[in-house]
Amino acid sequence: MLAAYFILTVIFAAGVLIARRGRAMEWLCGVFYVLQAGFGVWVIASGLGQTQLDFFTFDVTGTLFFALMGIVAPVSFGYGLWYLDRETQGQRQLYNALLILLCGSLAGVYFSNNIAVSWIFLEATTLCTAGIIYHRRTPRSLEATWKYIFVCSVGIAVAYLGVLLFGGLSHGADLSYSGLAASVPSANPLFLQLAFVFIVAGYSCKLEVFPLYTIGVDANMAAPAPASALISTILVNGGFVSLFRVYRVMLNSEVAPWAANVLIVAGILSVLAGAVFMRRTNHFKRFLSYSTVENMGIALIALGLGGAAVFAAILHVAGHTLIKSVLFLQASRAGKSYGHYQVARMGGYMQVNRAGAVVFIVAGLMVLAFPPSPLFVSELLIFRQMAIQEKWLLLAVVVILLCSVMYNFARNIVRLCYNTPRTVPQREKTGYGLLVPALVLLGLAVLLGVFQPHWLTEWIHTAASAVQNIS
Amino acid sequence: MLLGLIILYVVTLVYLPITERFRNYTLIIALQGWILLGIALLKLHSVNPWEMVFVVTETLVFKALIVPYILLRTIRRTKINRIAASGKSQFNALVLSIAALVASITVTYYIADPAMDIVFFGVALYALLSGLILVTVRKRIFSHMVGFLVLENGVFLFSIAVGVEMPVLINIAILLDILISVLMLGVFLTKIGGSMKNIDSDNLTSIKD
Repeated sequence: MLAAYFILTVIFAAGVLIARRGRAMEWLCGVFYVLQAGFGVWVIASGLGQTQLDFFTFDVTGTLFFALMGIVAPVSFGYGLWYLDRETQGQRQLYNALLILLCGSLAGVYFSNNIAVSWIFLEATTLCTAGIIYHRRTPRSLEATWKYIFVCSVGIAVAYLGVLLFGGLSHGADLSYSGLAASVPSANPLFLQLAFVFIVAGYSCKLEVFPLYTIGVDANMAAPAPASALISTILVNGGFVSLFRVYRVMLNSEVAPWAANVLIVAGILSVLAGAVFMRRTNHFKRFLSYSTVENMGIALIALGLGGAAVFAAILHVAGHTLIKSVLFLQASRAGKSYGHYQVARMGGYMQVNRAGAVVFIVAGLMVLAFPPSPLFVSELLIFRQMAIQEKWLLLAVVVILLCSVMYNFARNIVRLCYNTPRTVPQREKTGYGLLVPALVLLGLAVLLGVFQPHWLTEWIHTAASAVQNIS
Repeated sequence: MLLGLIILYVVTLVYLPITERFRNYTLIIALQGWILLGIALLKLHSVNPWEMVFVVTETLVFKALIVPYILLRTIRRTKINRIAASGKSQFNALVLSIAALVASITVTYYIADPAMDIVFFGVALYALLSGLILVTVRKRIFSHMVGFLVLENGVFLFSIAVGVEMPVLINIAILLDILISVLMLGVFLTKIGGSMKNIDSDNLTSIKD
């Protein structure tokens, strides 16, 4: 069935590329996203386990993130239809075909049970994302595309060194995560440390965390806003899933505490970068991207802490996916009204689109972890874990940085909604067609925060258990 | 013979920070491609013949022929000749390169794992660091491209270091990486060269906070 999904992905992407009329392209995309959602339902309903393909497994971690992609991607596609109104038919076809291919590549990342296969599919996401960033074909998008391909290629090449080092453990015979987990207990510690550092550094370009977080921020700035909603969520999740699986392998080794500290340090530096640059930037999409850097930093800290914080890390990333996509999608509407994303020149959005402004405020509060946000639950669990482990300094640093994030986030949302605009915005005439999907995503986030279905918490617990039990 | 090739490879890496002509960069990349071909032929003789054919073809066609050809074509098309600044940047790069060599030797000495060939590991680590130094110290995008290719060659050497029995997956991964190299070289460098008269990285600063 997974093979059929991959084949269909390629067929639909090709169909979208050769469709002669816009309506046919839209139908093809619509059918693909329905089929993708159906496939997700089938995976859940049929019970998880090994697929017919050797290198892929339907495990809870992969399925959870695939389900999130199944929810967010069609909404982004719908916004894209409205947003890309000045493009030629060819440009829209290429954009949508690349989105479909990005979904297919990410499915490969989510379900892969082999470190080399994860790496290959992550590399494939670079190609798809680069095409999406180059969509406008302006000098700025060319610059962003060049930087993205270059830095991601360097990052992925560095990660590949890590893959090779892990491969050396099993003499290239078994690169599955379970096989590696069996090899690491007897491995040379320095060997493992090098491999892990290479992989963290390499995957950081996808995960949008320190050290290569800047490239994701640049990509989000240059890409069309509906695509940014995917780059900043489901693509970031791809990096998270890949790193999570490698970290699980590392926990079987004697350098597990060291690996946990690496994640905590990378997480703190990411939160710091997010906090500092959120204050400095004047571009709304960059500002939202730095928020992603900060949130993924928190998730890394949680992974490093272990225990209940691992559950919190997965919940945090899942909640962030729903909320951040709403913020980017709503930003696409605001950007369209003002004709730019310069926060200092925006303002008065409450008059332009009252419902949209309310969505901004609510989603903004939720991404800042105010209840009933799922991020409130996750951050509370993370702080609790810090207190249990008596990491008071870490707790103090994170709380101070989060206060700075909170202040800057609230300041920019208030400026956007209530300041006097320096450019006259166009009043939006899109009705409720675009509002409803955003509200549905926010509703799902609230559901995740207030009423976590039993089966879902079971899933997250199962995904987290491998790390919890060891750390 | 194998040791001779490895030493020659290290010499190309040491020469990299002190040269300033792009044509020399291209020659170094081409030479590295041929050295890697020789190493692959000598080192991988015991593997499955099909894997051997795959790796050798890939090395010969991409690393030794296509990539240098594209680099030369880019030089002719964009009429770029040498790195913009000279003197100080060469000295800095050389100091960093020597530091990288010392760091590589130190790490290799401490790692000393029987799972891999130590000499290959050390040289590959040095190649990786040399590529990163070229990317960070030089301003011209062409130098960045060469830095990336040096890094890629280091990765290839690394794959030989960690085990002769390379599964097909690793080969596919190498091919995919080369695909990206060619994509970057062929499409984006010429596009950037066409749309920006001076291809310094200083010109790529419209995306910032």
